[in-house]
Formats: sequence, structure tokens, C-alpha cells
Amino acid sequence: MTVIACLKWVTPRADDDDRFAGISAADQSALEFALLSAQPGEDVVAVCAGPSGAERALRDAIACGVTRAVRIDLDPRVSSLAVASAVASVATGARLVWCGDYSLDRGTGSMPGFLAARLGIGQALGLIDVTIADDAMTVVRRLDGARREIVRVSGPAVLSVEGSTARLRRASLRGVLAADTATIDVITGPSSVVDTVDEKPFRPRARALAAPVGASALDRVRSLTDAGAATGRSETVVLDPPAAAARIVSTLREWGYLG
Amino acid sequence: MSDADVIVVGAGPAGSCAAIAAARAGRRVILIERGPFPGSKNMYGGVVYPRILDELVPRWWETAPIQRWVVRRSTMVLSETGALTVDYRSNAWGEPPYNGATAYRPDFDEWLSRQAVAAGAQLVTSTTVTGLLRDASGRVTGVRTDRPDGDLTASVVIACDGVNSFLAKEAGLYTATDPSNFTLGAKETLALPKHVIDERFGVRDDQGVDIEILGGTSGVNGGGFVYTNLDTIALGVVLKLPKLAAQKKRPEEIIATLKAHPAIAPLIEGAEVKEYSAHVIPEAGYSMMPTMVTDGMLVAGDAAALCLAAGIWLEGVNFAMASGMYAGDAAAAAVARNDVSTKSLSAYSDRLNATFVLRDHKKLRKVPGLVLSDRVQQKYPAFVTSVVERVFRVDNPQPKPGLRRIVREERKRAGIKLSQLIRDGWTGLRGFG
Repeated sequence: MTVIACLKWVTPRADDDDRFAGISAADQSALEFALLSAQPGEDVVAVCAGPSGAERALRDAIACGVTRAVRIDLDPRVSSLAVASAVASVATGARLVWCGDYSLDRGTGSMPGFLAARLGIGQALGLIDVTIADDAMTVVRRLDGARREIVRVSGPAVLSVEGSTARLRRASLRGVLAADTATIDVITGPSSVVDTVDEKPFRPRARALAAPVGASALDRVRSLTDAGAATGRSETVVLDPPAAAARIVSTLREWGYLG
Repeated sequence: MSDADVIVVGAGPAGSCAAIAAARAGRRVILIERGPFPGSKNMYGGVVYPRILDELVPRWWETAPIQRWVVRRSTMVLSETGALTVDYRSNAWGEPPYNGATAYRPDFDEWLSRQAVAAGAQLVTSTTVTGLLRDASGRVTGVRTDRPDGDLTASVVIACDGVNSFLAKEAGLYTATDPSNFTLGAKETLALPKHVIDERFGVRDDQGVDIEILGGTSGVNGGGFVYTNLDTIALGVVLKLPKLAAQKKRPEEIIATLKAHPAIAPLIEGAEVKEYSAHVIPEAGYSMMPTMVTDGMLVAGDAAALCLAAGIWLEGVNFAMASGMYAGDAAAAAVARNDVSTKSLSAYSDRLNATFVLRDHKKLRKVPGLVLSDRVQQKYPAFVTSVVERVFRVDNPQPKPGLRRIVREERKRAGIKLSQLIRDGWTGLRGFG
């Protein structure tokens, strides 16, 4: 069996200067969990989809202790579905696949979900806490409204973690020296890129909010942020799947999330 | 067997040149850099004189990432509102084989380190050397780093760890640290469109300007500088540490005052501050240098205080590159002889003594003290500018005063004794050789 760590190499600057490129804190956490969760005799494989510069991230991963590194050579502009398909070809049969839940380029975090679908295994995404035991892991998912979901993961699964969940170990000096000449497997990824119709700086969508009410500034901030407010909107219902889906949609509409 | 023949600590100009020289001599070299990539500290604003690279990287100017070739060198003396500038231009300096260039050190150092890697050295980044390994006799046998399992052994360690070299200090090569030997260089990087810089400084294409300034440092002993990059200007001050502390002035305030000077303000008007940084400079030259060689270890570059701050000459990177190269050569030869004792390694200090590295420093050893002295700093700029102001002022219907009278009157007004002026002039003449 193998444990996979998926790392996204991002060059954050417009001039594509590789000196400032790297992987996100979330991806670093994913790599750490991959190393922590591997059982004796299990291979840990770091997978990175990107240009040849991305091999620096893989060498860092080798220095930290992964047993094998694979670079999927592809254009950074391919869709996350295409990336997931390419990664799936490496990750087939893996026991655990660890991903960061966001990349340095403000990605949508969609790749882990696509990957789980491609691999046909379970998923637990957006994790803020992970407890690794011998038989099964207990993980905590972040949900809306400060809610948490505690999930037990026993079978093969894709897990995406936030950057705060773990700090990547510091590679030993011997590891760093050896990683310099380690072999990195390169496979060719999909070539069809997503056409960029329009490129604009990231702007969160505007949402109309009513003016906050309250006598004091503190009250107004509270009403604006819901901080400390009772979370009375939750209810537990038991429905069959089609009715449950309809209910979710109608509730989201009622709350203003859907137009 | 050691992990390497030579460990070089610090991938700045000295370290990379040491690694190039030792690796080309066939030695196993590990070059250790604290930053994520060489040059990442990014403090520098200045002129690199890479002539010494002719030996290491033939036709270096074709690949070295420089900003502008300096074709205008100005020395400016500032009083509160006046400015006297001596300006020399040579367009030949903007053509091969070139003279000096402004450069961004994140680009330049990274390029130089790639030459070292191409020569066979192994570059290890994001790794800080925290101390020396020594055997029972005290000989340096390697370094300790901040990584797990981080000890590394070598026949020779070359310390190129910059000003305040912890390794040279740990090896006992420095006597007590004297703050008056150091200056603080504080610098702003100011962005302007390239064509605006070209117009304001009278240059075109990749031609650049180097302005060294005496005065304009708000009464703190030191100096100022303006260097043109392609689309930024490096403007800053160099301030003597004890004076800066005593006068309780902030370096950024002194820079702000310099920027507002009537001779400087038009050059930088409308510029956007992109960076502010400050760095200590080993300014005292020959008098502060450590012992360069000990058993198993050499010191080069700023770590060996090889920075020339002699008024009209402000050079450091060339001394770093040369000393690094000589250290790399000496280390490689000592390893080949299987003798890394002080005696065997002293070929390094012999070569420093025989070349410009120490000959310039020895010749100019009195100049840093003179340039930073209170009289040169506090009185002479006002004296010189007021003399020039009166020489060129037309006071018709008064007839022109004689030059000797102007000098005498302005000297007295500035409170400078004739004997002091003669003494300083003589020191200057002797110092500059």
C-alpha cells in the first residue's frame, strides 16, 4: 500500500520567477500527515503536477523522507479535473491521499473532490484536526457557522487539510544533501488547457448586508459578524435522499446563499 | 573520510567565488546558504566592480544580471542647501570590458552561485551554520547547522558569513568588537519609470550613475549615495554607529532629510518607495581585520572586514569575490597537499598581501578615519560649498574678491584652523597615495 501527498507548485509572481515559487502551508501539512500516517513498510509518494521547476518541491519532500517522487509534466493552465485525472493515474490503489485544501494561487480546493471521485474512494475535506491511530483516523471538518464535523476514516480516502493542522518537519542535512541527486519520475500529463476568457484580479463577490443594528459599536460589530449569537438555525431532519436534497436547496435559498 | 573537502559558509560573492575556485580545482565542495536562495537577504544598493571575475567567469558581462553600467561617477558635497558636484562621465565604461555596474544582489548572487554549482559545488539553502566543529587540537574540522543530523565535516571551512562573522569570532580570529569600526547602511529603493531616470540622470539604455555624497547626513558622521538601477533608484546613507546612537536620530529620518535636499529632491520626485532596508558595514578597513587563517579555516569577504570605504572609493563586492577566489584556491591546494594547517593555508594570506585586496587596504588605511572624522564631516562640506558659492556669486557693482580672501574668510567662518586644514590635507594626500 502507499500513502500519497499531492503538492501544488505555484509561482505567485506575474514574472514567473521560480525563486519565489513554492507550495502552500496546507500542502506542507498534507506532506507531514502523509509521512506521519504511513505504516511500516508503506511507501510515501509525493506527487506534483507542474513544470520542471516544481521538482524543487519534490526534492524538499524527498529530503523530508518520502520514498518516491513523481512529477506530472503539464501546463499549469489545465483544469483541476484534468489534474485530478492525472494524479489519479499515480494514486490508484493508494490507502490514503493527502492534499492541502488550498494552493498558493488561491485555488478553489476542487482537486481533492475530483480526485476522490476519479479514484472512487471516500473523502474528508477541509480538515482542521487529524488524530492518527493504528486502525483508523479521527478527523475534524470545518463547516459553516463555526460548526464542526467529526469523521472517522478507516478505508481508502482522499483527505484535504488546512495549513494550521501540522508543521512540516525540518529535513535533516543528510536528507537535503541526498535529495539533490535523487531520481524523480516524470510522467506526461494532459495537454488540453482551459482557455482563459478573461483575467482579472481576485475580488470576492459582493453581498448586500443590512446596516448593523445596536446602540454601541460593539453591539453593531456583533450583529454584523454573528459573533456570540446563538446558532439557532440548525435543525436535524431525517428524509430520503431526493427530499433531503430538495430541502437543502430550499434552505440555502431561504438563507440567501442561492439566488 | 570527511563529508566534503571544503565547506563554504555563505553563498554571497565571497562564498560563491570560493566554491567556484575550489570546485574547479577538483575538490568536493558544499556551499551552505542561510536564505532560501543566494542573495535573498536583498539589502544591497551599490556598484559591483566585477573585473576580478575575468579570471573566474570569462566574458561574465554577457550573462551577469546587472542593472546599469556606471558611466557617470559623481562626488557631491552637500551643505544645508548648497551642493558642489564633481562629475565624470566615460561612455567607454558602458562597453566591454566594462568597469562597474549597479546590480540587484538577489539576481547577482544567485547567478554567481549557479556558476559554483556548474563547477561542481553542491549548494544547500535554507540552512544556517550555527557553529564550528573542532578536534582536540582545536583545528576546525567542520560545521554544525540548524538542521537535524546537521553536522558536516570537511578538511577546510571557508567562512564567508558576512559582517559580524560568528564563525570568525568563534574561532577567535577577531579581537574585541568595537562599534566605532562599523557603519549602518540604510537604503530606500525608489521606483520610477526607466525613461524618467534616463532623463533626470542624463543617461540612456543601460547606462547608469553613481553619486557619492559627503554631508547631507543630518550631522551624523557618514555619507550618502544615489545609484541608478534600471527602473529604481537606490538612495541611502551610511552612518557611523556610535555617532548615530549618540545623536539619537533614526536612519529613516536622515534619509528623509537627504531626500528633501534641493540637489536630491528633483532626482527622485514622484518616486514610490519599494523597499527599505539597513545593514551593518565593516567600515574601518585594515585596522579592524581579523586573522584570516587558522588551522582548517579561512575567512573571506565582509566576514574578514574586506570592505573598502575610502571616500571616493566605496568597494566591497570586488574584495569579497577576490578574497573568496583566493581562499578557494588556497583551500584546494592545501587539501591536495593533505595539510590544512595554518602554515599550509597561509598561501591565502600571502596572496591577499600580494594583491589589491590588502595592498589597497594598507595604502588607504588612514582614509576611512579621515573621511569619517568630525572636521571632514561637520565643517568641511559647509566650508567648501560656501567658498564655491562666493566664487560664483556676482556681487556687482562690488568687484570680485580674491580667491585667497574668500578661502580665508570662509575658513574662519567655518571655525577651521589653518594648521588643521594643512594637517588633514597632508593626511589625505598621504592616505590616497
